Amino acid sequence: MTDAELVVRTRSGDPDAFGTLVSRYYDACWRFAYHMLGERADAEDVVQDSFLRAYLAIGRYDERDQFRGWLFHILTNQCRNFLTSRGRRSKRFVQDDYAIESAPAPISGLAPGVEDAVLVRALAQLDPQQREALLLKYAEGLEYGEMSAMTGAGESALKMRVKRGSERLRALLAKAAERDS
Amino acid sequence: MSADELRFPTEDDLNDPHAHEIRERLQASYAAQPVHDAAHMARVSRAVLASAMHTPVSGPRGVRPRWWWGAAAAALLMVVVMRPWRPEAAQQQADSAMARTAPLVEMSGKTSEERGGTVRFEFTLPSSAREVALVGDFNAWDSDATPMQRDASGTTWSARIPLEPGRHEYAFVVDGQRWVIDPLAPQVPDAGFGPTNAVVIDGEAQP
Repeated sequence: MTDAELVVRTRSGDPDAFGTLVSRYYDACWRFAYHMLGERADAEDVVQDSFLRAYLAIGRYDERDQFRGWLFHILTNQCRNFLTSRGRRSKRFVQDDYAIESAPAPISGLAPGVEDAVLVRALAQLDPQQREALLLKYAEGLEYGEMSAMTGAGESALKMRVKRGSERLRALLAKAAERDS
Repeated sequence: MSADELRFPTEDDLNDPHAHEIRERLQASYAAQPVHDAAHMARVSRAVLASAMHTPVSGPRGVRPRWWWGAAAAALLMVVVMRPWRPEAAQQQADSAMARTAPLVEMSGKTSEERGGTVRFEFTLPSSAREVALVGDFNAWDSDATPMQRDASGTTWSARIPLEPGRHEYAFVVDGQRWVIDPLAPQVPDAGFGPTNAVVIDGEAQP
């Protein structure tokens, strides 16, 4: 059954159809949210909230759009909102290089079984906009036009975020490798 | 030479020279994430549906508040009130509104020393009052001791009392309840009983 058919069934009140959509996209959403937020519990909360918002707004979904893209639009907004509220609470993501390098690496909250914890920690030190652009571009494989429609940012701004985010991420990974060696 | 070095550069490579390396590492990290089982998905689905049942519906279905509604309402209000196509009408309306609301008489007071050590207190009120009394340290702040007389205009009240040379504090009591002062006359710091004016006989008034 296609996504559009599942959406129609969901609108008509079929809970199983919505359950199928959740099963189909939960892992993809979770992977993005985990790499955006850096913590498993936060990712689960944000993904669940995103599905709730999608369910409540399913009447406004346009069948001509890809359901995955529409869902990711909601998800990226929810991740931003979460980061903003977390930033207000704890100022977790700082832009001060010295503070970043001297701060102890977080060891709690990482998903079990993750092989590349270094990458997740390095991502957490990026500017959230750069992190979002990198994940959408390289992990989700979106084109800049799709990213622009999803985030509301211009394509040239997104290219710059990807380029700068990539350079910074590479530098952070190199420093981490030096430390470990 | 490795296969990566032989790879034809993509648009992403031109924008970001590290594109290939970062993409591979991110995708590998994605692939290493645990897959959630069906029971977990079912729990999430049930939780979402349960939350949706308790989420209040705001407004008619399919209509939600837009950020520009407020701006549009403000613009409409401005157009209706200002009527830019008839500036003279808007000005006239504004003038007449001001004329209706502006008081014709400002609140003011005046003290003047007369012969024989008598001081005349005058107090003009913008609104009508049934009675006005003069109170001060000279009559123990008794609002019944020195009632003021209304003149022919109906807005100015006056009283004459003999005062010893020196500094005296005073105020006015309107309709037996409202204590007011002359806003233009010298005032003394509020000692906890409300603001009062001050007058000095045989010298300049000082706060």
